[in-house]
Amino acid sequence: MSTTRQRMPLPALIGVTIGAAIMVTPLLWTLLLSFKSNAELMRDSATAFSGPYTFENYRAILVGSTVSRWLLNSLIVSLGTTAGVLILCSLAGFGFARLDFPFRRILFVFVLLGLAIPEQAVILPRHQLFAALHLHNSYPGLILPGLAGPFGVFFMTQYFRAIPIELDEAAKLDGASPFTIFRKVLLPLTIPAQATLGVFTFLGTWNDYWWPLISATTSDRFTLTVGLASSQMNYAQTSGLGFLMAQAVFASIPILIVYILFQKQIVRAMAGTAVR
Amino acid sequence: MIRALLALAAALLLGSCARGGDRTEIVLQRFFGECGAVYGRSIDVRAAESECGILTTLINRFQAENHDVRVKVNVVAWPGYPQLSAQIAAGDPPDLVTMHQSAISDYAGRGLLEPMDGILRQAGLGASSFTDASKRGVVKAGRFYGMPWDTIGRLWHINTKLMAQAGLMRGDRPVLPRSPEELLEQARQFHHATGKPYLILAQVGAPDYHVANLYTYLLAQDAVIFPDSRHIRLDTPQARQIVTLFRTLNAEGLSTRNQDFPGATAAFTNGQGGIFPTGTWMIGPYDQEAATPGHALYRSYAVLPFPRLWGHDAAFVDGHAWVMPRRERSPRQRQAVVRFLHFMAAHNFEWTRTGHLPAVRAVLDTSEFRALPHRGDIAAMAATGAQLPAYVQRQSAIQGLIGEELEGAVAGIEPVDHALADAERRVNELLSQIL
Repeated sequence: MSTTRQRMPLPALIGVTIGAAIMVTPLLWTLLLSFKSNAELMRDSATAFSGPYTFENYRAILVGSTVSRWLLNSLIVSLGTTAGVLILCSLAGFGFARLDFPFRRILFVFVLLGLAIPEQAVILPRHQLFAALHLHNSYPGLILPGLAGPFGVFFMTQYFRAIPIELDEAAKLDGASPFTIFRKVLLPLTIPAQATLGVFTFLGTWNDYWWPLISATTSDRFTLTVGLASSQMNYAQTSGLGFLMAQAVFASIPILIVYILFQKQIVRAMAGTAVR
Repeated sequence: MIRALLALAAALLLGSCARGGDRTEIVLQRFFGECGAVYGRSIDVRAAESECGILTTLINRFQAENHDVRVKVNVVAWPGYPQLSAQIAAGDPPDLVTMHQSAISDYAGRGLLEPMDGILRQAGLGASSFTDASKRGVVKAGRFYGMPWDTIGRLWHINTKLMAQAGLMRGDRPVLPRSPEELLEQARQFHHATGKPYLILAQVGAPDYHVANLYTYLLAQDAVIFPDSRHIRLDTPQARQIVTLFRTLNAEGLSTRNQDFPGATAAFTNGQGGIFPTGTWMIGPYDQEAATPGHALYRSYAVLPFPRLWGHDAAFVDGHAWVMPRRERSPRQRQAVVRFLHFMAAHNFEWTRTGHLPAVRAVLDTSEFRALPHRGDIAAMAATGAQLPAYVQRQSAIQGLIGEELEGAVAGIEPVDHALADAERRVNELLSQIL
C-alpha cells in the first residue's frame, strides 16, 4: 500500500520555515562561536560571522583532560539506566495491565503519585540512603535512582492495556504461562513503546546534572555534563565563550545521534500516538 | 629465561606496590576550571598563565617536590559548594578545599570546618603572615578557619584615552572624583566630550555588581550593615544616597544601560565607555588588550581602587582560601597538608599574577610583585578591603536578593525607598530561616 503525503499550503510552509529558522539560529550561533578564539569573542561576539576559525576549543576539550572517561561514564550510566527502566517498566506495566493481584489499584495509584513528587523533594533522604550504603561515586549510585520511573510504569501499563486481551486468551489455550505470554506474545508488540520510553530515558539520563553533581564527586566518576561544567573557568561567559560553546556542541553530539536514529519514535511520542 | 623474566616482573610489581604504599594521599578539591590540555604535566609555574594554569602548575610542582605525597585533585564545577555539602553529608569530604572567604561562615558556623590555627603554625604561618583584608576573611570567632590565598574585589578599570579626551587626566594619572557631586560633574564632562557613558555598568543579571557598589560605599561611611546575624539594615539615608547616585547616572545616560556582565566586559574592551567597575581578575585580560596595537585599549588602560566618594577609603572584598573540612586524618596526612599549605604560601606571589591581591603580607613588599602591572596602584586594597561580619551567613544568597531589588531601582523602574525596604525585608526573611 502506498501512502501519499499531502502538500502543505504555502502560508503554513512559510510559517513552519520561519519557525524552524528561529529554532535553528541559536544552534548555528553556538556552532559558529565554538570555532572562534576566546580572546576575539571577548571583544565582540559578532566576529563569529567572519574568520579566522579555529579548532583550539575542541582541542582543549579533547586533549589532556579526562573527557573520554566522562563520556564513557555517561554512556554506562545512560545505557544502564535505560536497560533497567525498560525491563522494570515492562514487567510492572504487564503486571498492572494483565495480572490480578491484591491491592493492584491502590499500588497503581501509589506509583502514579510518584509523578507528582519532584526529585528535589527526595534528594536529601536519597543522598543519605546512598551514603549509608556507600553507593556514592559508583555506577550503581548513578544508575539506581533513575530506575524508579513512575512515568515509564504508567506508559507501559497503558500500552499493555491497549493490546487486545484475546491474544492472551489464545496463548493461554495453548498452555502458555503468564511469563510466556509476557515474553513471547505481548512484549514483541510493545517494541514501539519500548523504543519511545528508551529514547526518553536515555536522553533524560544523559542530560541529568543534579544527581550526578552531588553523587559523583570525584573526577573519575563524573558524567559528561558534570565533567564539562567542572572544566569551565569562573568567568567562562566572558573570557572563555568559545570554549563554553565548544563544550555545548560536544556534549550534544551523542544526543544528536540518538535523535537522528530514533526520530520516528520521538516524533510519535511527542504526537501522543505511541500509546494507542 | 622465562623464570628470570617472571622474577623480574614480580620484583618490579612488588617495588611499585611498595612505592605506592609509602605515599600519603590527600584529596584536594578545587574550582577554577580544568586545563590539563595545556598544563597537565607542567611544573614551570613562571610560564603558566590564568588561575587554572597557575594553580595546576603549582600543584604539579608540589607533587614533583614531594614524592612521598600523592595529591589527588578533584576539579569541581564552580563554585563547588553543592558537591562539598554532599560530600560532608556523606561523611567523605576532601582534605583541602578551595572556598570563597564569604562562604566560610556558612560551614564554620555549623562546625563543618576544622580550625586551622595549629596546622598553620606548623606550616610556619601566623596571624602576622597574612594581610589584614585576607585575615578578616578567614578568622571567625577568633580562629583561623582557612588559609587565605588572595583578596579579590572590584576596581575601577579605566580607559585613559577617553579620560584624556574628556580632560580627566593629570599627567598619566586619571583624575577620579572625591565626592558624589564631583562624580556627576566629571561624568557629565566625560559624556559631553566623548559622547560615551562615563561608567560601564553590568546591570542585568549581575546582582553582585550592584551590591559591591552599595557595600563599598556603606563600609566607607562605617554604616552598620548587619547589626546582628539575623538582621540587615538597608533602608537608611546612606544607602538611599548611594543608590540614588547610580540611578541618576543611569537616568542621565552617564552609565550604560541594559548590559549584562559579558556585554559590559566587551563594551569596555571596545572603548565604549570610560570606567568599568569590575574585578581584580580582569586586570590580566585588559592588560593584554592594552599591549595589543590596534585594539581600543592599546596603551590606554589604568586600574585603581574605587574612589573615596563618602567617608574613608574602603573596598568590599572577598577572597579565596584553603579550608579543611572536619574528618579523620592520619598524622601523615596532616603532615602532608602542613607541607602543602607551606608550599602554597611560599608561592603566593605566583597566584597574584592572576590579578588577585596576595594573602601573604610579605609578597606585597616584594619587588617582583610591585613590578607586575598596576599592582602598586591597587595594593592598598590589601589593607582597606573589608568583608561582612563573620557572623553573616548565606552571603551569596543575600547578594542575589539585594541585587535584584537594586537592578530595578538603578534602572528607574522601582523607587529607591521601596527597593531598599523590599531588599531589607527579603534578606531579613532569609536570615530568620537559618537554623
